[in-house]
Amino acid sequence: MNDAQTLAVEVAAIEQVTSLIKHFKLASADGGALPAFSGGSHIIVVMHGAARMHRNPYSLLSSPRELDHYEIGVRRMEESRGGSHFMHDQVRVGSRLEIAHPVNLFALDKIARKHVLIAGGIGITPFLAQLEDLHDGAVPYELHYSVRSPEHAAFLTRLREREGEKVRMYYDSENQAVDFDGLLSNQPLGTHIYVCGPAGLINKVIATAKSCGWPDSHVHWEQFSAPPVGDAFDVFLSRSRLTVHVPHDQSLMESIEAAGVEVPYLCRGGVCGYCQTRVLELDGELKHYDHFLSDAEKAKGDSIMPCVSRARCKSLVLDL
Amino acid sequence: MLVTGIKSKPVYASLRADLGGRYHLMLGMGPGAAALLRVLAEIQGSASSALQKTRVLLVPDAGAALTTIAFDHLGLSLVSPFPDTASLLAAFRLVLDESLMGTRLYVAGPESFIGLAMKIALEFDLNKDEIRAEEVGTLARRVYCIHCRATTENVRNTIVTCTGCARWLLVRDHYSRRLAAYMGVMADAEAPGELPPVKVVYL
Repeated sequence: MNDAQTLAVEVAAIEQVTSLIKHFKLASADGGALPAFSGGSHIIVVMHGAARMHRNPYSLLSSPRELDHYEIGVRRMEESRGGSHFMHDQVRVGSRLEIAHPVNLFALDKIARKHVLIAGGIGITPFLAQLEDLHDGAVPYELHYSVRSPEHAAFLTRLREREGEKVRMYYDSENQAVDFDGLLSNQPLGTHIYVCGPAGLINKVIATAKSCGWPDSHVHWEQFSAPPVGDAFDVFLSRSRLTVHVPHDQSLMESIEAAGVEVPYLCRGGVCGYCQTRVLELDGELKHYDHFLSDAEKAKGDSIMPCVSRARCKSLVLDL
Repeated sequence: MLVTGIKSKPVYASLRADLGGRYHLMLGMGPGAAALLRVLAEIQGSASSALQKTRVLLVPDAGAALTTIAFDHLGLSLVSPFPDTASLLAAFRLVLDESLMGTRLYVAGPESFIGLAMKIALEFDLNKDEIRAEEVGTLARRVYCIHCRATTENVRNTIVTCTGCARWLLVRDHYSRRLAAYMGVMADAEAPGELPPVKVVYL
Protein backbone atom coordinates (compact mmCIF):
# COMPACT_ATOMS: atom_id res chain seq x y z
CA MET A 1 0.00 0.00 0.00
CA ASN A 2 1.27 3.45 -0.80
CA ASP A 3 -0.21 6.85 -1.43
CA ALA A 4 -0.61 6.24 -5.16
CA GLN A 5 -3.42 3.83 -4.28
CA THR A 6 -5.44 6.14 -2.07
CA LEU A 7 -8.96 7.33 -2.76
CA ALA A 8 -10.06 10.96 -2.52
CA VAL A 9 -13.07 11.48 -0.25
CA GLU A 10 -15.02 14.48 0.96
CA VAL A 11 -16.43 14.85 4.46
CA ALA A 12 -20.21 14.82 4.00
CA ALA A 13 -21.28 15.10 7.65
CA ILE A 14 -19.78 15.31 11.13
CA GLU A 15 -21.59 14.59 14.37
CA GLN A 16 -20.23 14.91 17.88
CA VAL A 17 -21.65 11.70 19.40
CA THR A 18 -20.04 11.92 22.83
CA SER A 19 -17.75 14.49 24.43
CA LEU A 20 -14.77 12.50 23.05
CA ILE A 21 -16.04 10.86 19.88
CA LYS A 22 -16.85 12.38 16.52
CA HIS A 23 -18.69 10.49 13.80
CA PHE A 24 -17.58 11.27 10.22
CA LYS A 25 -19.42 10.45 7.03
CA LEU A 26 -17.11 10.28 4.00
CA ALA A 27 -18.28 10.29 0.39
CA SER A 28 -16.23 9.67 -2.74
CA ALA A 29 -14.93 12.99 -4.06
CA ASP A 30 -16.12 12.10 -7.57
CA GLY A 31 -19.58 11.11 -6.31
CA GLY A 32 -19.21 7.46 -7.33
CA ALA A 33 -19.49 4.28 -5.29
CA LEU A 34 -16.70 3.44 -2.87
CA PRO A 35 -14.96 0.03 -2.89
CA ALA A 36 -16.87 -2.85 -1.31
CA PHE A 37 -15.82 -4.08 2.13
CA SER A 38 -16.86 -6.61 4.77
CA GLY A 39 -17.72 -5.93 8.42
CA GLY A 40 -14.59 -5.47 10.56
CA SER A 41 -12.61 -3.67 7.83
CA HIS A 42 -10.59 -0.52 8.48
CA ILE A 43 -9.28 2.27 6.30
CA ILE A 44 -6.19 4.41 6.72
CA VAL A 45 -6.96 8.13 6.71
CA VAL A 46 -4.09 10.20 5.34
CA MET A 47 -4.01 13.67 6.91
CA HIS A 48 -1.80 16.45 5.68
CA GLY A 49 -1.14 18.34 8.90
CA ALA A 50 0.77 21.60 9.08
CA ALA A 51 3.93 20.02 10.50
CA ARG A 52 3.64 16.43 9.27
CA MET A 53 1.54 13.74 7.67
CA HIS A 54 -0.63 11.47 9.78
CA ARG A 55 -1.89 8.12 8.60
CA ASN A 56 -4.26 6.59 11.14
CA PRO A 57 -6.31 3.39 10.90
CA TYR A 58 -10.05 3.67 11.63
CA SER A 59 -12.62 0.88 11.50
CA LEU A 60 -15.50 1.35 9.08
CA LEU A 61 -18.75 1.43 11.06
CA SER A 62 -21.22 1.91 8.22
CA SER A 63 -23.19 -0.86 6.55
CA PRO A 64 -21.19 -2.93 4.03
CA ARG A 65 -24.31 -2.75 1.87
CA GLU A 66 -24.16 1.04 1.52
CA LEU A 67 -21.23 2.07 -0.63
CA ASP A 68 -22.23 5.66 -1.40
CA HIS A 69 -20.41 6.62 1.79
CA TYR A 70 -18.15 5.28 4.55
CA GLU A 71 -18.52 6.15 8.23
CA ILE A 72 -15.83 6.20 10.89
CA GLY A 73 -15.77 7.13 14.56
CA VAL A 74 -12.76 9.01 15.92
CA ARG A 75 -12.02 9.24 19.59
CA ARG A 76 -10.01 12.26 20.67
CA MET A 77 -6.93 10.76 22.32
CA GLU A 78 -5.54 12.61 25.34
CA GLU A 79 -1.97 11.79 24.35
CA SER A 80 -2.48 12.26 20.66
CA ARG A 81 0.49 12.43 18.34
CA GLY A 82 -1.69 14.67 16.26
CA GLY A 83 -3.95 12.45 14.14
CA SER A 84 -7.08 12.39 16.28
CA HIS A 85 -6.68 16.09 17.14
CA PHE A 86 -6.41 16.85 13.41
CA MET A 87 -9.63 14.94 12.75
CA HIS A 88 -11.40 16.67 15.64
CA ASP A 89 -10.09 20.23 15.19
CA GLN A 90 -9.15 20.72 11.53
CA VAL A 91 -11.60 18.61 9.55
CA ARG A 92 -14.89 20.27 8.55
CA VAL A 93 -17.84 19.28 6.37
CA GLY A 94 -16.51 19.66 2.83
CA SER A 95 -12.88 18.90 3.80
CA ARG A 96 -11.03 16.63 1.40
CA LEU A 97 -9.19 13.62 2.82
CA GLU A 98 -7.26 10.75 1.31
CA ILE A 99 -8.00 7.21 2.42
CA ALA A 100 -6.47 3.85 1.64
CA HIS A 101 -8.69 1.01 0.40
CA PRO A 102 -10.47 -0.99 3.14
CA VAL A 103 -8.61 -4.00 4.54
CA ASN A 104 -10.19 -6.55 6.87
CA LEU A 105 -8.02 -7.95 9.65
CA PHE A 106 -11.02 -8.58 11.94
CA ALA A 107 -13.48 -10.59 9.88
CA LEU A 108 -16.29 -12.71 11.27
CA ASP A 109 -15.72 -16.47 11.03
CA LYS A 110 -17.98 -17.65 8.21
CA ILE A 111 -18.78 -21.08 9.65
CA ALA A 112 -19.21 -20.10 13.30
CA ARG A 113 -22.36 -21.39 15.01
CA LYS A 114 -22.54 -18.38 17.31
CA HIS A 115 -20.79 -15.02 17.62
CA VAL A 116 -20.09 -13.24 20.91
CA LEU A 117 -18.95 -9.65 20.38
CA ILE A 118 -17.26 -7.70 23.17
CA ALA A 119 -16.63 -3.97 22.78
CA GLY A 120 -14.98 -1.48 25.07
CA GLY A 121 -15.45 2.25 24.34
CA ILE A 122 -14.45 3.27 20.82
CA GLY A 123 -13.87 -0.46 20.15
CA ILE A 124 -17.57 -0.59 19.24
CA THR A 125 -16.87 0.71 15.72
CA PRO A 126 -15.91 -2.50 13.82
CA PHE A 127 -18.87 -4.29 15.40
CA LEU A 128 -21.36 -1.73 14.04
CA ALA A 129 -20.44 -2.87 10.51
CA GLN A 130 -20.25 -6.57 11.47
CA LEU A 131 -23.73 -6.39 13.00
CA GLU A 132 -25.06 -5.27 9.63
CA ASP A 133 -23.78 -8.59 8.27
CA LEU A 134 -25.24 -10.52 11.21
CA HIS A 135 -28.69 -9.22 11.97
CA ASP A 136 -30.40 -10.67 8.92
CA GLY A 137 -28.67 -14.03 9.26
CA ALA A 138 -29.55 -17.25 11.01
CA VAL A 139 -26.45 -17.42 13.23
CA PRO A 140 -27.14 -16.35 16.83
CA TYR A 141 -25.03 -13.52 18.27
CA GLU A 142 -24.83 -11.16 21.21
CA LEU A 143 -22.99 -7.92 21.91
CA HIS A 144 -21.49 -6.91 25.25
CA TYR A 145 -20.58 -3.22 25.25
CA SER A 146 -18.82 -1.54 28.15
CA VAL A 147 -18.20 2.19 28.51
CA ARG A 148 -17.17 4.57 31.29
CA SER A 149 -20.66 5.98 31.87
CA PRO A 150 -23.98 6.38 30.01
CA GLU A 151 -22.91 9.66 28.36
CA HIS A 152 -19.93 7.85 26.79
CA ALA A 153 -22.08 5.17 25.14
CA ALA A 154 -21.46 6.16 21.52
CA PHE A 155 -23.88 4.86 18.88
CA LEU A 156 -26.14 3.27 21.51
CA THR A 157 -29.38 4.68 20.05
CA ARG A 158 -28.51 3.17 16.67
CA LEU A 159 -27.59 -0.14 18.30
CA ARG A 160 -30.81 -0.32 20.32
CA GLU A 161 -32.90 0.49 17.26
CA ARG A 162 -31.33 -2.24 15.16
CA GLU A 163 -30.36 -4.88 17.67
CA GLY A 164 -32.76 -4.41 20.59
CA GLU A 165 -32.03 -6.71 23.50
CA LYS A 166 -29.06 -8.37 21.81
CA VAL A 167 -27.01 -5.46 23.21
CA ARG A 168 -25.93 -5.77 26.85
CA MET A 169 -24.56 -2.53 28.33
CA TYR A 170 -22.02 -2.25 31.16
CA TYR A 171 -21.20 1.09 32.80
CA ASP A 172 -17.97 1.49 34.79
CA SER A 173 -19.62 4.41 36.59
CA GLU A 174 -22.18 1.98 38.03
CA ASN A 175 -19.58 -0.69 38.78
CA GLN A 176 -20.96 -2.98 36.12
CA ALA A 177 -18.54 -5.35 34.45
CA VAL A 178 -18.85 -8.28 32.10
CA ASP A 179 -18.68 -11.62 33.96
CA PHE A 180 -16.17 -13.05 31.50
CA ASP A 181 -15.79 -16.34 33.31
CA GLY A 182 -19.55 -16.91 33.33
CA LEU A 183 -19.86 -15.77 29.73
CA LEU A 184 -17.06 -17.92 28.35
CA SER A 185 -17.88 -21.01 30.43
CA ASN A 186 -21.29 -21.41 28.89
CA GLN A 187 -21.02 -21.08 25.15
CA PRO A 188 -22.06 -23.83 22.74
CA LEU A 189 -19.47 -25.56 20.58
CA GLY A 190 -18.59 -23.58 17.49
CA THR A 191 -18.87 -20.18 19.21
CA HIS A 192 -16.38 -17.49 18.19
CA ILE A 193 -15.55 -14.53 20.37
CA TYR A 194 -14.45 -11.12 19.09
CA VAL A 195 -13.06 -8.33 21.24
CA CYS A 196 -12.08 -4.77 20.41
CA GLY A 197 -11.23 -2.07 22.91
CA PRO A 198 -8.53 -1.13 25.41
CA ALA A 199 -5.56 -3.48 25.92
CA GLY A 200 -6.75 -4.40 29.43
CA LEU A 201 -10.09 -5.65 28.10
CA ILE A 202 -8.50 -7.63 25.27
CA ASN A 203 -5.94 -9.25 27.57
CA LYS A 204 -8.66 -10.15 30.07
CA VAL A 205 -10.76 -11.84 27.38
CA ILE A 206 -7.80 -13.73 25.91
CA ALA A 207 -6.72 -14.98 29.36
CA THR A 208 -10.24 -15.98 30.42
CA ALA A 209 -10.87 -17.78 27.13
CA LYS A 210 -7.68 -19.78 27.62
CA SER A 211 -8.59 -20.74 31.17
CA CYS A 212 -12.02 -21.87 29.96
CA GLY A 213 -10.36 -24.15 27.43
CA TRP A 214 -11.03 -22.11 24.28
CA PRO A 215 -8.58 -22.77 21.46
CA ASP A 216 -6.91 -19.70 19.92
CA SER A 217 -8.71 -20.22 16.61
CA HIS A 218 -12.02 -19.21 18.23
CA VAL A 219 -10.73 -15.99 19.83
CA HIS A 220 -10.44 -12.88 17.64
CA TRP A 221 -9.29 -9.45 18.67
CA GLU A 222 -8.18 -6.19 17.17
CA GLN A 223 -6.40 -3.29 18.71
CA PHE A 224 -4.62 -0.64 16.73
CA SER A 225 -1.70 0.70 18.69
CA ALA A 226 -0.76 4.31 18.20
CA PRO A 227 3.01 4.42 17.66
CA PRO A 228 4.50 5.12 21.09
CA VAL A 229 7.01 7.90 21.68
CA GLY A 230 10.57 7.01 22.73
CA ASP A 231 14.21 7.98 22.44
CA ALA A 232 15.35 9.48 19.15
CA PHE A 233 17.68 7.29 17.10
CA ASP A 234 19.22 6.98 13.64
CA VAL A 235 18.61 4.19 11.17
CA PHE A 236 20.57 3.29 8.02
CA LEU A 237 18.53 1.90 5.11
CA SER A 238 20.91 -0.48 3.35
CA ARG A 239 19.24 -0.72 -0.06
CA SER A 240 18.42 3.00 -0.29
CA ARG A 241 21.84 3.93 1.16
CA LEU A 242 20.22 6.57 3.36
CA THR A 243 20.58 7.51 7.01
CA VAL A 244 17.28 8.59 8.56
CA HIS A 245 16.81 10.33 11.89
CA VAL A 246 13.81 9.14 13.94
CA PRO A 247 12.71 11.90 16.36
CA HIS A 248 11.30 10.95 19.77
CA ASP A 249 7.69 11.65 18.79
CA GLN A 250 7.65 10.27 15.25
CA SER A 251 7.41 6.60 14.33
CA LEU A 252 10.12 4.70 12.47
CA MET A 253 7.78 4.23 9.52
CA GLU A 254 6.80 7.90 9.40
CA SER A 255 10.44 8.96 9.51
CA ILE A 256 11.38 6.58 6.69
CA GLU A 257 8.45 7.81 4.61
CA ALA A 258 9.41 11.44 5.27
CA ALA A 259 12.83 10.58 3.78
CA GLY A 260 11.07 9.45 0.60
CA VAL A 261 11.31 5.67 1.04
CA GLU A 262 8.09 3.61 0.78
CA VAL A 263 7.43 0.92 3.35
CA PRO A 264 4.59 -1.49 2.46
CA TYR A 265 1.78 -1.36 5.03
CA LEU A 266 -1.85 -2.27 5.59
CA CYS A 267 -2.80 -1.33 9.16
CA ARG A 268 -0.10 0.97 10.61
CA GLY A 269 -1.14 -0.32 14.03
CA GLY A 270 1.11 -3.32 14.67
CA VAL A 271 -1.53 -5.90 13.70
CA CYS A 272 -1.21 -7.07 10.12
CA GLY A 273 2.48 -7.91 9.82
CA TYR A 274 2.68 -6.45 6.33
CA CYS A 275 5.48 -3.99 7.14
CA GLN A 276 7.75 -6.61 8.71
CA THR A 277 11.29 -5.50 7.91
CA ARG A 278 14.58 -7.36 8.26
CA VAL A 279 17.08 -6.02 10.78
CA LEU A 280 20.56 -6.41 9.30
CA GLU A 281 22.65 -4.87 12.08
CA LEU A 282 21.90 -3.59 15.54
CA ASP A 283 23.96 -2.11 18.31
CA GLY A 284 21.40 -1.64 21.06
CA GLU A 285 17.91 -3.04 21.61
CA LEU A 286 14.69 -3.19 19.62
CA LYS A 287 11.54 -1.91 21.33
CA HIS A 288 8.78 -4.10 19.90
CA TYR A 289 5.27 -2.70 20.34
CA ASP A 290 3.42 -4.80 17.75
CA HIS A 291 0.88 -7.60 18.27
CA PHE A 292 2.14 -9.60 15.29
CA LEU A 293 5.52 -11.12 16.12
CA SER A 294 5.64 -13.92 18.68
CA ASP A 295 7.65 -13.41 21.85
CA ALA A 296 10.29 -15.74 20.44
CA GLU A 297 10.54 -13.73 17.22
CA LYS A 298 10.77 -10.51 19.20
CA ALA A 299 13.59 -11.95 21.31
CA LYS A 300 15.42 -13.13 18.20
CA GLY A 301 15.62 -9.52 17.07
CA ASP A 302 16.08 -10.06 13.35
CA SER A 303 12.94 -8.26 12.26
CA ILE A 304 10.84 -5.27 13.27
CA MET A 305 7.44 -3.71 12.53
CA PRO A 306 8.39 -0.11 11.77
CA CYS A 307 4.77 1.12 12.04
CA VAL A 308 4.81 0.98 15.86
CA SER A 309 8.16 -0.40 17.01
CA ARG A 310 11.32 1.55 17.73
CA ALA A 311 14.90 1.00 18.86
CA ARG A 312 17.10 2.29 21.61
CA CYS A 313 20.42 1.98 19.90
CA LYS A 314 23.72 3.38 18.75
CA SER A 315 23.14 2.03 15.26
CA LEU A 316 20.48 0.14 13.34
CA VAL A 317 20.58 -1.09 9.74
CA LEU A 318 17.35 -2.13 8.01
CA ASP A 319 16.84 -4.03 4.75
CA LEU A 320 14.99 -1.22 2.99
CA MET B 1 1.07 -37.60 -8.23
CA LEU B 2 -1.99 -39.32 -9.67
CA VAL B 3 -2.22 -41.75 -6.78
CA THR B 4 0.36 -40.92 -4.09
CA GLY B 5 2.36 -37.89 -2.92
CA ILE B 6 -0.87 -35.96 -2.34
CA LYS B 7 -0.93 -33.49 0.53
CA SER B 8 -4.57 -34.00 1.50
CA LYS B 9 -3.85 -37.52 2.75
CA PRO B 10 -4.34 -37.22 6.52
CA VAL B 11 -1.40 -37.82 8.84
CA TYR B 12 -2.21 -39.08 12.32
CA ALA B 13 -0.17 -38.92 15.49
CA SER B 14 -0.22 -40.88 18.70
CA LEU B 15 -2.98 -39.56 20.97
CA ARG B 16 -1.94 -37.29 23.85
CA ALA B 17 -4.18 -35.44 26.28
CA ASP B 18 -4.74 -31.75 25.62
CA LEU B 19 -4.82 -30.48 29.17
CA GLY B 20 -5.77 -27.01 27.95
CA GLY B 21 -9.28 -28.37 27.42
CA ARG B 22 -11.93 -28.20 30.11
CA TYR B 23 -14.03 -31.12 28.87
CA HIS B 24 -12.93 -34.24 27.02
CA LEU B 25 -15.05 -36.22 24.59
CA MET B 26 -13.70 -39.52 23.28
CA LEU B 27 -14.76 -41.86 20.50
CA GLY B 28 -13.18 -45.28 20.10
CA MET B 29 -13.61 -48.19 17.75
CA GLY B 30 -12.33 -51.69 18.57
CA PRO B 31 -8.67 -51.58 19.68
CA GLY B 32 -8.82 -47.77 19.54
CA ALA B 33 -10.12 -48.07 23.12
CA ALA B 34 -6.54 -48.74 24.28
CA ALA B 35 -5.41 -45.36 22.93
CA LEU B 36 -8.25 -43.65 24.81
CA LEU B 37 -7.27 -45.42 28.03
CA ARG B 38 -3.76 -44.03 27.62
CA VAL B 39 -5.18 -40.47 27.30
CA LEU B 40 -7.47 -41.00 30.29
CA ALA B 41 -4.49 -42.09 32.39
CA GLU B 42 -2.67 -38.95 31.33
CA ILE B 43 -5.61 -36.75 32.32
CA GLN B 44 -5.91 -38.60 35.63
CA GLY B 45 -2.18 -38.16 36.23
CA SER B 46 -2.48 -34.41 35.76
CA ALA B 47 -4.74 -34.30 38.85
CA SER B 48 -7.22 -32.45 36.68
CA SER B 49 -10.85 -32.59 37.69
CA ALA B 50 -11.62 -32.93 33.98
CA LEU B 51 -11.75 -36.72 34.19
CA GLN B 52 -15.21 -36.63 35.76
CA LYS B 53 -16.44 -34.51 32.86
CA THR B 54 -15.08 -36.95 30.30
CA ARG B 55 -17.49 -38.72 28.05
CA VAL B 56 -16.50 -41.89 26.17
CA LEU B 57 -18.45 -43.44 23.27
CA LEU B 58 -17.31 -46.90 22.14
CA VAL B 59 -18.12 -49.30 19.35
CA PRO B 60 -16.57 -52.79 19.09
CA ASP B 61 -15.07 -54.25 15.94
CA ALA B 62 -17.62 -56.22 13.93
CA GLY B 63 -18.54 -59.39 15.78
CA ALA B 64 -16.81 -58.44 19.05
CA ALA B 65 -18.63 -58.11 22.35
CA LEU B 66 -20.22 -54.87 23.50
CA THR B 67 -18.30 -53.97 26.65
CA THR B 68 -16.92 -51.10 28.72
CA ILE B 69 -15.04 -53.35 31.11
CA ALA B 70 -11.60 -51.88 30.35
CA PHE B 71 -12.90 -48.49 31.51
CA ASP B 72 -14.71 -49.62 34.66
CA HIS B 73 -11.73 -49.06 37.00
CA LEU B 74 -11.80 -45.33 36.21
CA GLY B 75 -15.27 -44.97 37.76
CA LEU B 76 -16.48 -42.76 34.93
CA SER B 77 -20.22 -42.35 34.76
CA LEU B 78 -20.32 -41.52 31.07
CA VAL B 79 -18.88 -44.47 29.19
CA SER B 80 -21.38 -45.72 26.61
CA PRO B 81 -21.08 -48.73 24.28
CA PHE B 82 -22.89 -48.80 20.94
CA PRO B 83 -23.61 -51.83 18.73
CA ASP B 84 -22.53 -50.15 15.49
CA THR B 85 -20.89 -47.02 14.06
CA ALA B 86 -24.17 -45.49 12.90
CA SER B 87 -25.73 -45.51 16.38
CA LEU B 88 -22.51 -44.21 17.94
CA LEU B 89 -22.37 -41.32 15.44
CA ALA B 90 -26.04 -40.46 16.06
CA ALA B 91 -25.32 -40.23 19.79
CA PHE B 92 -22.11 -38.26 19.08
CA ARG B 93 -24.19 -35.66 17.24
CA LEU B 94 -26.52 -35.27 20.23
CA VAL B 95 -23.56 -34.94 22.61
CA LEU B 96 -21.95 -32.26 20.43
CA ASP B 97 -25.20 -30.35 20.35
CA GLU B 98 -25.13 -29.95 24.12
CA SER B 99 -21.35 -29.59 24.51
CA LEU B 100 -19.68 -26.32 25.46
CA MET B 101 -16.67 -24.42 24.20
CA GLY B 102 -13.61 -25.79 25.95
CA THR B 103 -14.32 -29.35 24.77
CA ARG B 104 -11.59 -31.46 23.17
CA LEU B 105 -12.42 -34.38 20.91
CA TYR B 106 -10.30 -37.54 20.74
CA VAL B 107 -10.96 -40.20 18.12
CA ALA B 108 -9.18 -43.56 17.96
CA GLY B 109 -9.98 -46.20 15.39
CA PRO B 110 -9.68 -46.98 11.69
CA GLU B 111 -9.36 -44.02 9.35
CA SER B 112 -12.86 -44.51 7.97
CA PHE B 113 -14.24 -44.18 11.52
CA ILE B 114 -12.06 -41.12 12.25
CA GLY B 115 -13.19 -39.54 8.98
CA LEU B 116 -16.90 -40.01 9.72
CA ALA B 117 -16.47 -38.55 13.22
CA MET B 118 -14.48 -35.57 11.90
CA LYS B 119 -17.10 -34.91 9.25
CA ILE B 120 -19.72 -34.44 11.98
CA ALA B 121 -17.31 -32.45 14.16
CA LEU B 122 -16.76 -30.04 11.25
CA GLU B 123 -20.48 -29.34 11.13
CA PHE B 124 -20.14 -28.10 14.71
CA ASP B 125 -17.17 -25.90 13.69
CA LEU B 126 -14.64 -27.83 15.74
CA ASN B 127 -11.27 -26.72 14.46
CA LYS B 128 -8.16 -28.84 14.12
CA ASP B 129 -6.86 -27.41 17.40
CA GLU B 130 -9.85 -29.03 19.17
CA ILE B 131 -9.61 -32.49 17.59
CA ARG B 132 -6.99 -35.21 17.96
CA ALA B 133 -7.07 -38.56 16.24
CA GLU B 134 -5.03 -41.76 16.23
CA GLU B 135 -5.31 -44.35 13.50
CA VAL B 136 -5.80 -47.81 15.00
CA GLY B 137 -6.99 -50.81 13.00
CA THR B 138 -7.74 -51.45 9.37
CA LEU B 139 -6.50 -49.16 6.58
CA ALA B 140 -9.59 -49.99 4.51
CA ARG B 141 -10.83 -46.87 2.78
CA ARG B 142 -14.10 -45.15 1.99
CA VAL B 143 -13.91 -44.28 -1.70
CA TYR B 144 -16.03 -41.59 -3.31
CA CYS B 145 -16.82 -42.05 -6.99
CA ILE B 146 -16.22 -38.72 -8.71
CA HIS B 147 -18.48 -39.86 -11.56
CA CYS B 148 -21.67 -41.01 -9.80
CA ARG B 149 -20.98 -39.67 -6.27
CA ALA B 150 -21.61 -42.99 -4.56
CA THR B 151 -19.31 -43.99 -1.72
CA THR B 152 -17.90 -47.51 -1.62
CA GLU B 153 -16.98 -48.76 1.85
CA ASN B 154 -14.19 -51.06 3.05
CA VAL B 155 -11.98 -50.74 0.01
CA ARG B 156 -8.75 -52.72 0.31
CA ASN B 157 -7.61 -52.76 -3.31
CA THR B 158 -5.87 -50.17 -5.49
CA ILE B 159 -8.72 -50.54 -7.97
CA VAL B 160 -12.30 -51.22 -6.97
CA THR B 161 -15.70 -51.55 -8.63
CA CYS B 162 -17.95 -48.63 -7.69
CA THR B 163 -21.04 -49.79 -5.80
CA GLY B 164 -23.00 -46.98 -7.47
CA CYS B 165 -22.15 -47.17 -11.18
CA ALA B 166 -19.97 -50.30 -11.52
CA ARG B 167 -17.08 -48.32 -13.06
CA TRP B 168 -13.58 -49.50 -12.21
CA LEU B 169 -12.19 -46.82 -9.89
CA LEU B 170 -8.54 -46.05 -9.27
CA VAL B 171 -8.20 -45.14 -5.57
CA ARG B 172 -6.21 -41.93 -5.10
CA ASP B 173 -4.62 -40.50 -1.93
CA HIS B 174 -6.69 -37.34 -2.56
CA TYR B 175 -8.79 -37.14 0.62
CA SER B 176 -11.88 -35.03 1.27
CA ARG B 177 -12.55 -34.15 4.91
CA ARG B 178 -16.02 -32.95 3.97
CA LEU B 179 -16.90 -36.31 2.41
CA ALA B 180 -14.64 -38.37 4.71
CA ALA B 181 -13.51 -40.34 1.68
CA TYR B 182 -10.71 -40.84 -0.83
CA MET B 183 -11.40 -39.89 -4.43
CA GLY B 184 -11.90 -42.71 -6.93
CA VAL B 185 -11.50 -41.97 -10.66
CA MET B 186 -12.39 -44.23 -13.57
CA ALA B 187 -9.36 -46.46 -14.15
CA ASP B 188 -10.00 -47.54 -17.73
CA ALA B 189 -11.54 -44.43 -19.25
CA GLU B 190 -8.93 -44.16 -22.03
CA ALA B 191 -8.88 -47.84 -22.96
CA PRO B 192 -12.01 -49.62 -21.70
CA GLY B 193 -11.26 -52.95 -20.07
CA GLU B 194 -7.49 -52.31 -19.79
CA LEU B 195 -6.59 -52.18 -16.13
CA PRO B 196 -3.26 -52.00 -14.38
CA PRO B 197 -2.58 -54.87 -11.97
CA VAL B 198 -4.89 -54.72 -8.93
CA LYS B 199 -3.07 -54.87 -5.61
CA VAL B 200 -4.45 -55.40 -2.12
CA VAL B 201 -2.76 -52.65 -0.10
CA TYR B 202 -5.24 -51.08 2.34
CA LEU B 203 -5.25 -53.78 4.97
